[in-house]
Amino acid sequence: MTTNEITEEAILETLRQVIDPELGCNIVDLGLVYSVSITGHKVAVVMTLTTPGCPMHESIRWGAQNALLNLAGVEAADVEVVWEPPWHPSMMTEFGRKATGVGTF
Amino acid sequence: MRANAPSVALPLMFTLTGLLALCAGIVWLVMQPSILALYHYNQNVIAVTHLFVLGWICSVVMGAMYQLVPVALETKLYSERLARWQFVFHIVGFIGMVWMFRAWNMEQVGHFGSVLAVGVALFVYNIARTLWRVPKWNVTATAVSAALGWISLTIILGLSIAAAKSVNDYESPASTTGTTGVILHGLKWVAGFLTPFGAISTMHAHAHLGGVGFFTMLIVGVSYKLIPMFTLSEVQSRGRAVGSVILLNVGLAGSFVTILRHSALKPAFALMVVVALAVYGWELKAILRARKRRALDWGIKYFLTAIVLLLPLSVLAVVLSCRGLPQNTFTGQLENLYGFLGLIGVVTFAILGMLYKIIPFLVWFGRYSRQIGRAKVPALADLYSARLQALGYWAWLAGLAGTGVSIVLSNETGIRIGCGFLALGVGTLGLNAGKMLSHYFKPSPFPLPISTLPKTA
Repeated sequence: MTTNEITEEAILETLRQVIDPELGCNIVDLGLVYSVSITGHKVAVVMTLTTPGCPMHESIRWGAQNALLNLAGVEAADVEVVWEPPWHPSMMTEFGRKATGVGTF
Repeated sequence: MRANAPSVALPLMFTLTGLLALCAGIVWLVMQPSILALYHYNQNVIAVTHLFVLGWICSVVMGAMYQLVPVALETKLYSERLARWQFVFHIVGFIGMVWMFRAWNMEQVGHFGSVLAVGVALFVYNIARTLWRVPKWNVTATAVSAALGWISLTIILGLSIAAAKSVNDYESPASTTGTTGVILHGLKWVAGFLTPFGAISTMHAHAHLGGVGFFTMLIVGVSYKLIPMFTLSEVQSRGRAVGSVILLNVGLAGSFVTILRHSALKPAFALMVVVALAVYGWELKAILRARKRRALDWGIKYFLTAIVLLLPLSVLAVVLSCRGLPQNTFTGQLENLYGFLGLIGVVTFAILGMLYKIIPFLVWFGRYSRQIGRAKVPALADLYSARLQALGYWAWLAGLAGTGVSIVLSNETGIRIGCGFLALGVGTLGLNAGKMLSHYFKPSPFPLPISTLPKTA
């Protein structure tokens, strides 16, 4: 018998399907995802956006929640958008920097 | 899904109306280039100017404000229903005004202008109530508030000009009683108030209230929010940002009075506006130097080119504000160039750039925001062609240069050719707008791969 196990890697891989449409890059490689916590079949993600007042605020938060709920084994997903600490491009991965044309730090 | 912004259909209606008005205006100039080759105090110039100002610029700007003010200032639009009513008043008002300016029927201009004014009042009330809810007041909110004040004054002065020009056509108010009599007495009073200032000075003051007070104020204020957002940067000096907005307001207030009174202090206040724009340019440069996203997309390039064009516009403003200028044909053509450069060079170029941010956002928000996380959705830049954008940029720049030189030379053939390039620029935007709207009517999200999880024994 096999069971599904929700891992942080699987969560992050799923969140890579959610893009910031203005920057054309996914939220994980943009460094927008601050933390992931898994409690049984419940997932909680704390994330930020590149700027307060981002017009895509609700879309991206909603998209992240959708993506998580589509992941097999996830029964509840809570996505919280925070502004502290403020996002900085140094939080991006190498892939994210290349995808958005942001220099190194 | 909770959203601060209204439904995308509302700003899209305003935007498409604006694009149609821009096309009509450019075609009009191609068909009748004499409009720009003659002194601007005539019915055709005033009609086509109001087509650009009300039909194109105000439509797009007001539609964009309903969308962007709530999201940029982190609040909720006060009333979408009021905005829909404004759209109706706006359409009827500006089309009627342009038509009646063309026919030079100032009574009807006043009537249609009143319809437009009802719409503007709804707009001002709606945005003011929206601003009232802003949780964190900032320089952008200050500039938007000031712009609301200036557009209100612009409309009041415009209606007063129409009243002053048409009041003599009515029968004597003394012979009329009741409400009509009160209105006619009021019109007479307005006519008496404006008469000492002169028709041309009043028209120039009205134009500056709208051009600097509403359009330039919004460009300055909104770019302190949008340019950092699009280039991954931040405002570098709050003092400079606030200072530029304060100076712009004081300079405009002084310019308004001195233009109206044809005062010797006109150049001093023109200089104050120029200093305000220089401080704005200084801060914008600092924001761009600190940006993390090195590559600038074409939308931002359009916008920044418009800002650079403020330089020749400022020089012209100061020169034309001097009292000793000879009142000849050449000076008249420089005034035409000033108006053309301001509306078609600076304001329109800036709006064209921002439209490449606004239209893809509206389409994407309307069609893909609920698909995100469920399907592979396109990025905003995938919705249009960057090649067409680049072609449009160079065509617009060539059109501005060609038309500008031809205006100074009063050369109708040159104006027609220059406006032909502007038409090419509008054409590229039209093609790209069609490409973007095709996503609105026929979205194309791709299914995501089925998610898999590691299996453990």
